Amino acid sequence: MTGDSQAAVHLLSVRVPRTLVRPHRRRSVLRGLVLTALGVLAAVYLFPFFWMISTSLKPTSELYVQPPALWPVRPTFDAYGAALVGAGDWVLLRNSVIVCLTTVVLALALALLIAYPLTRLGVTPRFRRGLLSWLLSLRFLPSMVVVIPIFATIRTVGLYDQLLALILIYTAFSLPFAVWMLKGFLQEVPQEVEEAALVDGAGRWRAFFQILLPMISPGLLAAGVITFALAWSEFLYALILTATPRSQTFSIAVWSFVTQFEIIWNQMAAMGVVSALVPIVLLLFARRYVISALTFGAVREKT
Amino acid sequence: MYPLFYAIGLSLQYYRLGGFAGLHNFAFAFQDALLSDSLRATGVYIVLAMSIECLLGLVLAVAVQRTVKSALGRTLTYLLFIVPMVTPPVAAGVIFRLMYIPEYGIINVLLRDLGYHGRSVLWLSSPGMAMFSVVSVDVWQWMPFVFLVLFAGLAAVPADIIEAGEVDGAGGWARFRFLELPYLRPLLLLVLVFRFTDTLRVFDHVQVLTGGGPGASTEFLSLYLYRIAFKFSNLNYASALALYIVIIVSILFTIASRYLSEELV
Repeated sequence: MTGDSQAAVHLLSVRVPRTLVRPHRRRSVLRGLVLTALGVLAAVYLFPFFWMISTSLKPTSELYVQPPALWPVRPTFDAYGAALVGAGDWVLLRNSVIVCLTTVVLALALALLIAYPLTRLGVTPRFRRGLLSWLLSLRFLPSMVVVIPIFATIRTVGLYDQLLALILIYTAFSLPFAVWMLKGFLQEVPQEVEEAALVDGAGRWRAFFQILLPMISPGLLAAGVITFALAWSEFLYALILTATPRSQTFSIAVWSFVTQFEIIWNQMAAMGVVSALVPIVLLLFARRYVISALTFGAVREKT
Repeated sequence: MYPLFYAIGLSLQYYRLGGFAGLHNFAFAFQDALLSDSLRATGVYIVLAMSIECLLGLVLAVAVQRTVKSALGRTLTYLLFIVPMVTPPVAAGVIFRLMYIPEYGIINVLLRDLGYHGRSVLWLSSPGMAMFSVVSVDVWQWMPFVFLVLFAGLAAVPADIIEAGEVDGAGGWARFRFLELPYLRPLLLLVLVFRFTDTLRVFDHVQVLTGGGPGASTEFLSLYLYRIAFKFSNLNYASALALYIVIIVSILFTIASRYLSEELV
């Protein structure tokens, strides 16, 4: 393919040499420029993380050295210990893990309940389209708009400052995305696979659990990881619906360092590291699906 | 749907007194000077963040698509850009808080090393700079999103079309304008819709970086709403404002979805 087109370019270049030769030289200059720009960008993107990690490892005595050192002389995990154990933030960390895991399980189960009939049973295309685009529209609703009624409702039903409130809300919020994502995966499994199982005498349930579910397990894993990461990062609702460490999540732990009168920089950085590390590590595993997830499946990448 | 009706109910009542207020809360919005300040700040934020993100993202996507051909290079680029997007906004706030501290922050130190010896820049506590800093975090986190979406779009442009174009003597600009842009148009729209709705509701990293200050220079709509609703506990007025936002966003969404739904469903 490319060989052919290069041959074509050479043929043409006999006739119009200038216009076709110059772009080649310009292209190599452009290439150098782009690679330099990418290098600079890599620094811009990686240095902030490096700086946060470096600050989190500084002992308090090295925090205010002028000029600040790139890397602490005596790196230590003291700040992590002080924040997690000393300040009691491990409780919030535990809360976050409980909330996120429960949310993942609930959201995936409910999403399957919606996505399965949508793709497998006879549903009119009109209904399907309508439901899917309605779910999509929820993604665009600014969360601050529903925050007040949700706050008032949660208070009336007595769930204020309880983990359950956050679990319910995160499940509701991740549902549209989970349905969209699982819908995509379910559509990729040919209808015939399931029909074959039915013909072989398996019931619908068995066909679902033993045939379909294993086939879409990569999708479940990806959707689960992304749901976890989104719930992990959530801040606004955690801020509004909780008041005590009994139900506060880790985002609040990170934020509370900022509001103190005198900020303890190394502890704040340490909590920032923990907060960022969890979704980054998780999503590096599911990296193929991040863009699809963020755009509701509108974009599929190949990497 | 229930929250929406609840909000309508709240918005029609008087603050503290209760009782039916008619459109009082809705009318008050027009006299609220703080609201107009907040709207202006939000507007500036949206325009700055969106335009920088989209332009940079587009240029970068085209440039990388044309110059970085190796699979390894592309994977590395992809990984590099996925990291900021999945960083929780609160953590991103922490990162930049650390970098923007006036005395010990690395940015001012770098400026000094580069030969700037004026007064140290108050990145977060002077109004103009605070806006810049807050926008910079948004760009840092979400320019990669624009880049990755458009990059995926460019990869979907059929290779034979580009080759045919090259045979016809299309230069770099013509290739972009007439061959690639038509493929990117729906994705550009998609990116604009996503970035618009996200910048409109921006809250997390601003709360960490400036908390809306100094003064009210970075008190965007969501922060203002948060203050009215949860600091002054005027849920009624806040609901009225929220409903305005619902109306505006749904109008925009209806317009956009007419184009989007064909691409998505």
